[in-house]
Amino acid sequence: MSPSAAIRTHGIRRSYAARKGFLFNEIVRTDALKGVDLEVNSGEIFGLLGPNGAGKTTLTKILSTLLLPTEGHAEVLGLDVVKDAPRLRPRIGLVLGGERGLYNRVSARENLRYFADLYGVPTAERAGRITEVLDRVGLTESADRRVEEFSRGMKQKLHIARGILHRPELLFLDEPTIGLDPKSARETRKLVRSLVADGVTIFLTTHYMFEAEELCQRIAVLTRGRIVANDTVQGLSRLVGGDRTLEVEGYGFDDAEVEVLRRLPGVSRLKYEEFGPRIRYTLRVRTSELTPPTVQASLPGHRELAIRERRTSLEDIYLDLVEEEAA
Amino acid sequence: MAARSYSRLRSLGASLRLAVLSFLADPQWLIPSMIAPVIFGLVSYMLFQGTSPTLVLYAILGAGMMSMWGQTLYGSGWATGQDRNLGTLEPTLSAPTPYLYVVLGRVIWNTVSGLLGGAIVFAVVGIAYGRPLPLANPLEFVLLFIFVILSLAAVGIVFSAAYVYTRYAGFIQNIGEFAFYVGTGCMFPIVLLPFWSNPVSLLFPPTWALDALRILAIPGYHGLAWGFWGDLIGAVATTVAYLAIAGTVFSRVEKHVLEVGNLSDW
Repeated sequence: MSPSAAIRTHGIRRSYAARKGFLFNEIVRTDALKGVDLEVNSGEIFGLLGPNGAGKTTLTKILSTLLLPTEGHAEVLGLDVVKDAPRLRPRIGLVLGGERGLYNRVSARENLRYFADLYGVPTAERAGRITEVLDRVGLTESADRRVEEFSRGMKQKLHIARGILHRPELLFLDEPTIGLDPKSARETRKLVRSLVADGVTIFLTTHYMFEAEELCQRIAVLTRGRIVANDTVQGLSRLVGGDRTLEVEGYGFDDAEVEVLRRLPGVSRLKYEEFGPRIRYTLRVRTSELTPPTVQASLPGHRELAIRERRTSLEDIYLDLVEEEAA
Repeated sequence: MAARSYSRLRSLGASLRLAVLSFLADPQWLIPSMIAPVIFGLVSYMLFQGTSPTLVLYAILGAGMMSMWGQTLYGSGWATGQDRNLGTLEPTLSAPTPYLYVVLGRVIWNTVSGLLGGAIVFAVVGIAYGRPLPLANPLEFVLLFIFVILSLAAVGIVFSAAYVYTRYAGFIQNIGEFAFYVGTGCMFPIVLLPFWSNPVSLLFPPTWALDALRILAIPGYHGLAWGFWGDLIGAVATTVAYLAIAGTVFSRVEKHVLEVGNLSDW
């Protein structure tokens, strides 16, 4: 394990068994993780992306000691997640989010006080810490209201407050901005950055590509239980064939014309989509020489082409990787 | 070591505090804690009011036991079931404190409210009877009464583990509730049950403790063959056994749920 690694996993596998049938005598196994190798550096924001059911939450729970791996080995902050779980738990924070996970009949402040005691926050600091985290997530005014009166967004903020209450060295954030309005989501991203400035390592799972792109130094894409890519956004764009994208839209392309597009200099990947009679070819481009006019010039028979040039986004990269894996 | 003990005590205190706050915030708890004991007490009194004071006392002790069961034993398990329903089982188990201490905090509160339920039964029947029920050894009775509650709490802790283990624990406990009333002699003496069931009854601390209570409170009551001291030894031994296995059961159940991954199921 490199000295700066906050998380290191090797060959993590996890399968779930479900009993089915009239007498529950049939066991159906589902492999959620199929050998995950990962390394997260200390002090970075590491993003884990993947479609629903890819295994993101399973991996997060294994790393935060809430689930045992079926096979493999994982170390967090230099501690084994299975053998050293009691020593690891006070040093990490977990935000699973959602509507559930809070004591609804009591106030936000009482929820935090309860977890402060479970995490051993020094009694003398407890009240101050609660006030501080409530302020950081913007819940000061609602601190003494019952959680059952909270909106989904407010509950999400309270989850985050609970996650950072004991000042963890590493924070697992499972879709932290889900259910938040744009202003609150932006404030949450600001909070995440401020935590990193305080020296906290962040392990973030999200479905929002712009969020991952804005926050994360490195991103891994998990699909069907496997990490299919793990790099910076720039590195990932190289992986899918370039940081520039050209979209060519028109009608009635024949095979020869498609072949011309595919063979244009610098084109590394060509995707095809239909919109009724209209067809779009998306080209991932490695060089800056290929421009809309040169594409237009290569297809002289098509005067009605609409060609757009843009930067390859993380969403493009993500979709390329996930579709490739599915294929 | 001292730091660890302090941390666990703090967690126990936090859990106790949250249990009290949740109780006060939730009017539905009035039913098992205040209304059910009144009903149990009145029904038992009305059923036996024409009989001898001894038989009335016998029935009332059973009624008190049933209301305490509801609050102490059932409440302890139910609170863990609530953790599943609310989704708070995962964040609580991901905290450094062993979950057993969280359960212990709740059990303490349920014990106190169980005592309240038992006291309500006696008060209600006393009012209906026109004077306090004649107890043979009132001081010893009160001390043993508190121990009975603790013996229920010991069973409650083990039941709580079932709620951590599976989301179906509530079904098992609901089915078991009446079997427990009958099997531990709350309703009538266990000697009236089939002989084969008697050893099963003796596995539960309340069977012993309740019999000891009746010997103490009812003049002329003979109870089980081994007398008051035999009952007391049996009650203490089974309570200690339950407390001892609770720790082991909890650590095994915690490991099991981390293996199975059903903490978020509800």
